[in-house]
Amino acid sequence: MQGIVLALLVCLLLALITKRYALPTIPFYIVAGLVLGTSGLNLVGGDEISAFLTHLGLLFLLFFLGLEIKPDRIWKNQSAILSSGLIDLNINVVIGFLAAYALGFPLVDALIVAAAFFISSTAMAVSSLIENRKLLMRESETIVWLMVFEDIVVILILAFLGPQMNHPLAILVKTLTVLAVLYAVIRFGKDQITWVLKRDDELPVLLTFSVVLGISALSVYLGIPESFMVIAFGTFLGTIDPVSFEVQSRPFKDVFLVIFFVFFGITVNLFAEGISIPALLAISILAVVSKYASGIAIGKLIHRNSHSGIEIWANTIGRGEFSIAIAALYGSAMVSSAIAFMVIVTSIIGAFVAKYSGKIGKILIRPEPHVQDKAMEK
Amino acid sequence: MPLRSINLPGIGTKYELETEKQDTIAVFFLKSGNIQMYTLQHGCQTPSVAELSPPEARRLGSILTGAIMEADRESVEFAFSALSDLRITIHTYLVGKTIAGKSLEDLRIRAKTGVTIIAVSRGDKNIINPAADFELHEGDTLVAIGESDQLRRFERDIMVT
Repeated sequence: MQGIVLALLVCLLLALITKRYALPTIPFYIVAGLVLGTSGLNLVGGDEISAFLTHLGLLFLLFFLGLEIKPDRIWKNQSAILSSGLIDLNINVVIGFLAAYALGFPLVDALIVAAAFFISSTAMAVSSLIENRKLLMRESETIVWLMVFEDIVVILILAFLGPQMNHPLAILVKTLTVLAVLYAVIRFGKDQITWVLKRDDELPVLLTFSVVLGISALSVYLGIPESFMVIAFGTFLGTIDPVSFEVQSRPFKDVFLVIFFVFFGITVNLFAEGISIPALLAISILAVVSKYASGIAIGKLIHRNSHSGIEIWANTIGRGEFSIAIAALYGSAMVSSAIAFMVIVTSIIGAFVAKYSGKIGKILIRPEPHVQDKAMEK
Repeated sequence: MPLRSINLPGIGTKYELETEKQDTIAVFFLKSGNIQMYTLQHGCQTPSVAELSPPEARRLGSILTGAIMEADRESVEFAFSALSDLRITIHTYLVGKTIAGKSLEDLRIRAKTGVTIIAVSRGDKNIINPAADFELHEGDTLVAIGESDQLRRFERDIMVT
């Protein structure tokens, strides 16, 4: 218990400093965890309480992701989402997989590293666009759709992760049955749910908290993918009133997610056998370079301009919450340390590049004459 | 003047407008509640940006629609610059002993001063557009609308007699 309090206080202090300078907080929470835990001073260790709280953090992160998913909106923008998303997926998963395999990860572990290598942090991309006041850029829309695509991929990955004892077909049948029942309950209980959400006593927050935990417990009991169910449930509830569910679950998400990140850092052993620090650094740097390649490719395809590629790259370098979630759910020590290292390096470099993307772009790419200038020359 | 609006997941709603002179103005309603406004001059590469809180944005909005509002402690004045500078003031008054027990009809407020009582606040109840036979009680709050001259006359002739 004292360990959790110490970790929280350190995180509070870090949040005060990083928010002041508009830096991403996630890498600092993980670094704090690394310093306090197994890899560092060994002051704090994981126990049952911290395991429960980190689990809550993960559940609310996934529930929030579910609330944000709007199937009809995705359907309407599918061409914008697919065109850039597939380039992003192909380039980064292939590079990430080859690098992880070359560094000596077993086949399945290398695939998990590749997934975490591919998924950029949606939270960091969004806050970087807002903080750096880049929303007007044409590229910002491309970046937003890219994040939506990655979120969908995250859901598919999470559906296959986690302990699976049953036959795949049995899981599929059970999952679909539960989804259908949940959908029907939400559909027919819509008025009652709206009535509860409109109240200003403890009912709305109690409902939100208990249904999220309830779905998780039900999934574990039935042996169906828990993460996937929580996300799907969030999406269903999002059809009723996404805003008030967000308002109700935000405090849980905010505080438990901090615990999730710091305890992820605490339990990771960077100096475990299997992979060296230079190798970790190499794959992290490659993660920055690989997004450069995909960013430029997307910029050239959609905006017909490499400078657009620089902006897309700058805002998607940071890996974050979903990479960590994948690592935590997969649970291999070697994979976790690689992903922790990758998140820290890419998110710090990403924050820096996003802030100075204009100058960095001029150094990396020869200034291209604008289309209008070309027309004038003719 | 094409206006385009789009919902950006995770960010909020974007409204983009291109003016006749090809300048671009974009407004983003962020999920945090704040509003970012970008203006980009035609031919220019980098926009200038202002971030507004909701009250600031409303204030800006009312300036742009031509209704300028000046708020006093007890009264609000609206000026519609587009309607040959029409100015309307809304003022609140507390009912004292002198007029308590009388109805709006008895006081002949509109005939004498031109002021209209548009609402009465009594306790935690509000009466909008009170009828002519509505009887005033001590402690009621009147909401009166009129030109500032008319309101001055109302104060002098009705409230203080």
